[in-house]
Amino acid sequence: MIRLGAIRHSIFAQIVLWAIFTAAEITFGLWMLTDATIQRTNHLALERAIDLDLAGMVDIYASGGAEQLASRIEDRLALQPRNGNSAHYLLADANGNRIAGDIGKWPKIKADASEATEIELDNAAKAFVRATELGPNLRLLVAHEHHDLDVLLRQVALAFLIGGMLAVLAVALGGWMAAHRLASRIESINAAFRQPDDAALERLARGSGDRDEIDELTRHSGNALAQLKQLAAAHRATTDHVAHEIRTPLMHLDNRLVKALAATPDSETASRIADARTEIRSITRMLESLLDIAASEARRGDRHGLAPVDLSVMAARLCELYADSAEESGHTFKRDIEPGVRIEGEEMALMRLITNLLDNAFKFVPAGGTVWLVLRKGPTLIVSDDGPGVPEEQHAKIFEKFSRGKRHPEAEGAGLGLALCRAIAERHHLEIRLAPSEKGACFTVAPETK
Amino acid sequence: MSGLNILYIEDDARAASRVQELALQTGDTVTWAATGNAGLMRAGTECFDVIILDRMLPDLDGLTILSRLRESGVGTPVLMLSALGRTSDRAEGLDAGADDYLAKPFEAEELLARLRALHRRASGRTHSAVILYGAFECHVKARTAFRNNRHLSLSPKEFDLFRYFMENGGEVLTREMLLRDVWKMDFDPQTNVVDVNIGRLRRKLEEGFDRPALETIWGSGYRLLDGQ
Repeated sequence: MIRLGAIRHSIFAQIVLWAIFTAAEITFGLWMLTDATIQRTNHLALERAIDLDLAGMVDIYASGGAEQLASRIEDRLALQPRNGNSAHYLLADANGNRIAGDIGKWPKIKADASEATEIELDNAAKAFVRATELGPNLRLLVAHEHHDLDVLLRQVALAFLIGGMLAVLAVALGGWMAAHRLASRIESINAAFRQPDDAALERLARGSGDRDEIDELTRHSGNALAQLKQLAAAHRATTDHVAHEIRTPLMHLDNRLVKALAATPDSETASRIADARTEIRSITRMLESLLDIAASEARRGDRHGLAPVDLSVMAARLCELYADSAEESGHTFKRDIEPGVRIEGEEMALMRLITNLLDNAFKFVPAGGTVWLVLRKGPTLIVSDDGPGVPEEQHAKIFEKFSRGKRHPEAEGAGLGLALCRAIAERHHLEIRLAPSEKGACFTVAPETK
Repeated sequence: MSGLNILYIEDDARAASRVQELALQTGDTVTWAATGNAGLMRAGTECFDVIILDRMLPDLDGLTILSRLRESGVGTPVLMLSALGRTSDRAEGLDAGADDYLAKPFEAEELLARLRALHRRASGRTHSAVILYGAFECHVKARTAFRNNRHLSLSPKEFDLFRYFMENGGEVLTREMLLRDVWKMDFDPQTNVVDVNIGRLRRKLEEGFDRPALETIWGSGYRLLDGQ
């Protein structure tokens, strides 16, 4: 069954529906018009016939008087055609009393104005009538039945119904086929944008061979995507190159320090050299984080390389690692992990996400404080604490690169931890937020709502 | 343990000489190949304990060399070295058949420690049911630990850590190696979780004994002592 949502979101389905509706509407309109025309033509013909009949009667009255007219009326009634529209007459005085004819009662119709109207006869047949005043005390009414028109109208309606249904069917079938073909061509473009792998790009570059607007769009999209890919690759190559160029001299510098460390007998110098080595290591770590952020951002929405990951098992393992150090540092660490929470993801990156959040919490919460980790299906991960929290003015910036909070200037780090968290979350179609909380900080990671 | 016979494929002469220097001190032999092709040739014709392979070489890509080596049936453990330190690069290198991956800049001690662990793993010394080192005993299946025949009561994680130290008895194990092999993490958490866990293990190994069990090598890592 076609779902309503699918129709609402597909322009082609909407066009087909519109075409079906229009075909039905036009057919209905044509039937209405035909019906009205038939009725009107028939009415005019009846009117002409009745006027002719009435004129004949008036002539007879003029030449032969009322008795002649009455006898002619009886003749006419006796000679009714069996298969035509039977005629009925009433010759009456001013009070409506019958002198001749087969209509029992004078209907509500004015003879002095030569009125014409529709009446129902005694035998329940419908008839068109016209009356006229022949003399001061004499009136004539002529009525012609028209019962066979209904049959004709019914036949016309039936013809239009069948024709309309066939038209709707033809439009629906043709429209569906055209829409299906168009939709599949557009879908190949959309698929390439969703997952721009080599096969998809090659399909776009080939085009459909139709040389129409969509074919042009297909080729343009293919070119644009290929260019984007090249740019991304070039960007990646550049950052790799820069990273290499920075790391190599750092390594040499570190090696020199190692040599100096080995040569010096002085413990104070040795400790300074050791500090310098620590700083080199933190620069390297910062470079790595920046590269990881860039890599995660570049692969946002790319499902390539994702594998099923059991978040519950991972979180439990990480919690185990942190539980001991929490105990040592005088923190309370509470965990609530729902089993069987799974996600398609990059295991190491997700581990990094959870670790960074926990690191952050334990770094900023003073001894005696509590850190909570909650994992629920969805997946929803909440890492919260009862520490000093994040000042209001920093909320907007906290996930940006190098946004080292002012809340604990002495806390080490380049301010990349949460930026990396966000990049990893977005790579997995997750959204990381700093949720409002009464006390402390509360970070939530949940599926994107947009 | 006699010194390792190492092939080092690297275009950076300074990095190569630094490793060679350190290897001299530790009794290992380093054969240096400055290009990918030269390295590929030597790896195919000579016998080495381990191969260090730089990922970015001027003539051949490290991943290509690795796949050619594996195709031609050379099973020598390979440690890939690279300035590309991203998680995805690491995964790519390991997927291509590298046995370990180390990002530049690295410390020569870290490199040699890892090479030793690689070699040990490859030569199958780690698969016995009971590992003995000095005064320590590790029963892998029963997951029990002893020092001087006295049972040590360890938590499951502490046992994993202990077992890893036992498998590498007497060798320096770096933080990175511990994180990777015990906690399966290829990055270093910002907090001192590793040190805390080592500290707890150390207390359990040393409680009631006079001689130390775990030595902290400042700036490098940790080493299990024989405890005698």
